[in-house]
Amino acid sequence: MAEKHFVVIGSGPAGNQAAFTLRENAPEARITVISKGRESSCVPSLLPDFIAGKIDEQGLLVCQVGSYKASGIKLRCSQEVVDLNIQAKELILAHKEIVPFDGLIIAVGGMPRIPERLQVFQDVMFTLKTLEDANFWIDRLKKVESVMMIGGDLTSLAVTKTLISLNKKVYFILNEDAFWPLRSNEELFAAVATRLAERGVDVLVGRNVKSLQRLAGGEIQVQVDNQYITVGMVGAFFGLVPEIRFLARSGLRIDRGVLVDEYLCTGVEGIYATGDCAQIYHPEISDYWISLGHENARTLGHVAALNLVHGDKQLEVKPQSIFEVQGINVNTSWWTEF
Amino acid sequence: MPKVDLTIEICGMSGDGTIAAGGLLNAAMARAGLSVMAFDSYPAEIRGFGRCVTRARIGDEEMLALHDKTHVLVSLDDEQSFSRIPFLADDAMVLFDNRPPSMVSEGRSLAAHVEPGISLIGIPFGDLAAQAASTKRGRNIVALGGVAAIFSLPPDYFREVIRKKFKAKGEAVLEGNLRSFDAGYEYTLENYRQRVTDTLAHMENMEDPGRILQSGNVAIAHAALDADVKLYFGYPITPATPIMEYLAKALPEKGGRVVQMEDEISSIGAVLGSFFAGTRAMTATAGPGFALMTELITHGVMAEIPAVIINAQRGGPATGLPTKTEQSDLQAAVFGGPGDSARIVLAPTSVKECYAYTMKSFQLAEKYQTPVIVLTDFFLNNRVETMAMPHASEEEKRDGNIYPAAGSKESYHRFAVTESGISPRAIPGMEGFIFTTTGLEHSEKGAPNYTPENHNAMNAKRHRKIDSAMTDLPEPQEFEAEEGGLDVGVIAWGSTFGAALEAVHKARNKGKKAGALKITAIYPFHEDPIRAFMGKCKEILIPELNYEGQLANLIGHLHAKDVIRMNQTTGLPIYPREIYEKIMEIG
Repeated sequence: MAEKHFVVIGSGPAGNQAAFTLRENAPEARITVISKGRESSCVPSLLPDFIAGKIDEQGLLVCQVGSYKASGIKLRCSQEVVDLNIQAKELILAHKEIVPFDGLIIAVGGMPRIPERLQVFQDVMFTLKTLEDANFWIDRLKKVESVMMIGGDLTSLAVTKTLISLNKKVYFILNEDAFWPLRSNEELFAAVATRLAERGVDVLVGRNVKSLQRLAGGEIQVQVDNQYITVGMVGAFFGLVPEIRFLARSGLRIDRGVLVDEYLCTGVEGIYATGDCAQIYHPEISDYWISLGHENARTLGHVAALNLVHGDKQLEVKPQSIFEVQGINVNTSWWTEF
Repeated sequence: MPKVDLTIEICGMSGDGTIAAGGLLNAAMARAGLSVMAFDSYPAEIRGFGRCVTRARIGDEEMLALHDKTHVLVSLDDEQSFSRIPFLADDAMVLFDNRPPSMVSEGRSLAAHVEPGISLIGIPFGDLAAQAASTKRGRNIVALGGVAAIFSLPPDYFREVIRKKFKAKGEAVLEGNLRSFDAGYEYTLENYRQRVTDTLAHMENMEDPGRILQSGNVAIAHAALDADVKLYFGYPITPATPIMEYLAKALPEKGGRVVQMEDEISSIGAVLGSFFAGTRAMTATAGPGFALMTELITHGVMAEIPAVIINAQRGGPATGLPTKTEQSDLQAAVFGGPGDSARIVLAPTSVKECYAYTMKSFQLAEKYQTPVIVLTDFFLNNRVETMAMPHASEEEKRDGNIYPAAGSKESYHRFAVTESGISPRAIPGMEGFIFTTTGLEHSEKGAPNYTPENHNAMNAKRHRKIDSAMTDLPEPQEFEAEEGGLDVGVIAWGSTFGAALEAVHKARNKGKKAGALKITAIYPFHEDPIRAFMGKCKEILIPELNYEGQLANLIGHLHAKDVIRMNQTTGLPIYPREIYEKIMEIG
């Protein structure tokens, strides 16, 4: 029998773990990881430390590139999947290459979300998801003294801490966009605002950005309601949205993420979704949930790979605390509603 | 100014415009004030299939050699580019057409083969060219737009060289190519803004440095024109043909003629005839053609007739590897042919020296009345380098003939045995100077004479003459050879020398006591300076692009112990890294 070809889309924590679990459980299989990034993905939660200079580039990576090679896993970087044919079991890459597979794990993660009303200004906002993003932050921070943070997600408070350590003046707009997709929580907001203010951050609670404009000198003028604030740069932190547009014509069931059962299977034999892009069925609540965070992603990647090979590993449902900053715990691991 | 040292490679199928794109890239970089060394390799077949590769090393310092690692690969044909992947630097960029005409199966795209860490830049070369100029032929120009954008090289330099290249082809062609370039440039900026580096951004608004890009072949032809050559006789052969092509256009404008002969034998015969009649002439060939010439070269030795022959070496033996480089004709150049037929052999090491030594060869040939062979190789003939316009002084151009004194008609002996071996040479038509010329052994008057005494005396005279030429031949040149001793001395010739010197510099930076010796007078060679250099070195390394170690065979005996040979016959130039690693391995 010809060797099986397993393909993992995405090389973040979930995809990376899936690939290595596949290798352990299917030693004869050909395994390919396809990633949009230039190298192995980085751990997003470490990016603020990278910006602060506390860790180097290699320390950021989910996995050293050499580990893929040593494990016989083909890593295809800077390549994008644009279509999936579930009948033929083929992926179409952006450069018109057809990649057939016997098993597929979709672990594309998410991309920075910009609320629709702010999308017109996205060219003047900095997001932070990749190493390239982080390098842009580093370059820009060398030239500016102040930063406006808009939104607020798992990364934004850590970035704020980094900015303070770099002696930057920080403004932080905290409104209903913060901690998306979590529901607004006044108690949480108040606690965060207090902690930020104690650190010297200028917190603008409940305020809304009306416009952003780049000035001749490169600064950004931010209109916050009727007030104009000029800063060196603006960071946008509105959470991540799954990068699954390429699946629109595939026939897979999609809501905000790829809908999968408690085994992370899409319902199509041999095709699984995992990590941030998966919307997972919870038999007890008869609804779908998502997970956030690096460790959870690894767990999901592991389970998807086991099920692709063996098909019988049900996901354990157990709350975990993955987020702690400035003494505030945010439990987002097993968040069960949109 | 930041240090720039980039190797950019364009690879495609024959007919893709690979070499044309390389030429534009080199010209734009040179216009921006950067130094360029570039080399094309292409299939031996005329057109339609086979891989074409053009590689350029670009930097802000003078280039000594090409490197084997490529920083940017532009793929105009993925199937052809697969074999280039092992030569990519770890952090290389690959620009490829991400919208091929049809879907391709797994593994048939270049993207399937690049290692992680290499930046893939997908640009729809064909589609953008079609949109810009209604034809996909400009996809190579789209690719150049991508290269300019990625390195932030101001696009006006490219637009300027595109205008120069295409203006003669009409407005529509020119505008189509300009639009193709702009399409590639804008697409890349728009889609790969995060990959754009500012490596060459500082080259903005550079004054035209006025330097030219010249290949070894053109430098040779240029020297021939400056030396007032009137006749070129040749038979086409790779890699020497561009010399004839260039002269075919340029020589008639100066009142000269290019004559394509029926073969190489007639070519050298015509050159000898021309010089015999007192007119400068030249021929250029490669190994197989040189082999045909050898008998008549020795005729020139015996009859003491000047000749200038360019031997552009390529892979051999026989037809061998027509479009690959090698240095394996040294023995044939020095010793080839019947009898004891000593002649002068020069080997330039750079494009500049191609000009200088071709120029010099005419005076040497005339003064010493013997064929002079300028030994180049494919890598030197075909590579281009940025340089100031070469120039020779009137003294360097002057007639090198030593004519008989006006009052010596009565006692004139064309082949008079002299201390230096040089006999004043009368040109046919010089009234009163009557002599016989023959390829037979002859007396001082030129009449056939086979007596033992005469043959001995004439052989000795002809060799004395070649020995006396030493005073006019370039001495070996030492580099980094300070007193106090070296661990490794590298002796190199021809196109290999640049790589050797760069390797020596690198080894010294790593603390190795290494030096280099450049030899350009291959025969006769200066024994004492070579011995002196060898005496400073514990070990002598001689890298050569031949199997037998032909320079090592020639000069190795001058060293107290065996020289270390580094012989390579891959058809490719030798790279500084390879010599550097060998230096570090020694001692």
